[in-house]
Amino acid sequence: MKFIKNHLTFIFPMMAILLGVEFFLVFDRTTNNYEKNLREGYSMFIVATEPISLEDFIELDSHINQSEEVKKEKLAKQIAKGMSKSSTQKILDALPHFYNIKFDSYLHTSTLEHIKAYLEADDRIKRVETFGSSYGASYTLFSFIKFTFKAFVIFMSLVSFFLVIKQMEIWSYAHKERMQVMETFGAPVMLRSGVLFKVAFIDGIISTVLTSSMFLFLKYRWAEESHIDILLQMQDLLFQPIDFLILLATALFIVFVSVYLVVFSTKE
Amino acid sequence: MSSNIVINASRLTLSYGHTDIIKDASFSVKKGEFVFITGPSGSGKSTLLKSLYGQIKPTAGNLMVGGLDMINIPRSKLQGLRTHLGIVFQDYKLINEWTVAKNVVLPLIIAGYSMDVQQTQAKRLLKHVKLSDHINKYPLELSGGEQQRVGVARAMSKNPFLILADEPTGNLDDYSSNVIWDLMENACGQLETTVLVVTHRIPSIFSIPYRHFIIENKGVYEVH
Repeated sequence: MKFIKNHLTFIFPMMAILLGVEFFLVFDRTTNNYEKNLREGYSMFIVATEPISLEDFIELDSHINQSEEVKKEKLAKQIAKGMSKSSTQKILDALPHFYNIKFDSYLHTSTLEHIKAYLEADDRIKRVETFGSSYGASYTLFSFIKFTFKAFVIFMSLVSFFLVIKQMEIWSYAHKERMQVMETFGAPVMLRSGVLFKVAFIDGIISTVLTSSMFLFLKYRWAEESHIDILLQMQDLLFQPIDFLILLATALFIVFVSVYLVVFSTKE
Repeated sequence: MSSNIVINASRLTLSYGHTDIIKDASFSVKKGEFVFITGPSGSGKSTLLKSLYGQIKPTAGNLMVGGLDMINIPRSKLQGLRTHLGIVFQDYKLINEWTVAKNVVLPLIIAGYSMDVQQTQAKRLLKHVKLSDHINKYPLELSGGEQQRVGVARAMSKNPFLILADEPTGNLDDYSSNVIWDLMENACGQLETTVLVVTHRIPSIFSIPYRHFIIENKGVYEVH
């Protein structure tokens, strides 16, 4: 019983850290998707006196990565309804060029304002239209959610890390006599603390397997049985094979750092 | 200092905090000698022994062990020195989670010897201390006398140039004590290992020549 308790007090905080890391990975993947949609759904409308190529736009601001000229023939036809063909052509010639431009990333409203001002300063551009209010609200909400989630994960991981260190100190105390005997016979630090590394590595691997199993369950059982549309749509993003390696690497890194901290902070 | 001298203390002072335990002690021990250090409880016998394997640093004077200055010895050199010492404790200090065989070869494990060498040496030493039948047992399955024999075997496993023993028979009955003294005599007489034993009482029957130091009033004096 004591043996199990001893290991669970290490495995639980380690799992809390790994869950935090995995949630972070899943959150990052899903928000990247959302961010992409927001980015692609946003554009600036440009009215220009002469044709402007994509290269010209990129020269004006490097965030611009797409430009699409709005066909003005339809517009000219509507204006010239009932008029002669030559009038339609005259209207068509008189109309300025219209462009929709898109950006390479999800930009802050202040950056967008800056880009707008820069574009308006160009002689060829007569007017720039943005959709500031709705974009600004989405951006603020999105950034806030992202920040609070990251802050929570970091805080939770820090608390859990201290619990891992505490457990390591308990183990170090439990094996103190053995380590002292080895020290008396001239064993180097790494050999003396080998027992801590061994126990912690095994528990680190157990924590990784348990955390991965939880997410695999969420992905293949819970998500499917829940019939929640968004979960089914995002099912692929829930747990990916690379995540197992990331979790394992994180667990082993934490094990190494915590053993190192405990062993080297103990006075001989 | 002659290369024949294993331990050389000159005006050695050992203290705990501001209290001197040993003061201005001078003595030397040559290669292959058997030395007893006696004295009343609390006189500083164990403190002196601990200074010889670097557990306690001298506060004044000079102390050389195996040609190394124990006052200014760096950590890495101290580790190296300890791998060439054999240490026997009154309370055995065996690793209870390890088998008897693994305990015996601890110095070989530390030195990175192969498993084959470790196994051969474990069998040889346990035969020497008459514990061949207990090779796969754990220390807590043995009696006090048997545990101490394992301790002595461990101390001898890497052919150290110096064996330091702190009250090795302090917790043992007469029969077990005699077995331990025999093993120590053999180590010194046959292998020419220097042996320094801290004890309350020198055994009445001892078949090899020895030197005797007594600790009194913080000083170390040789008894002739």
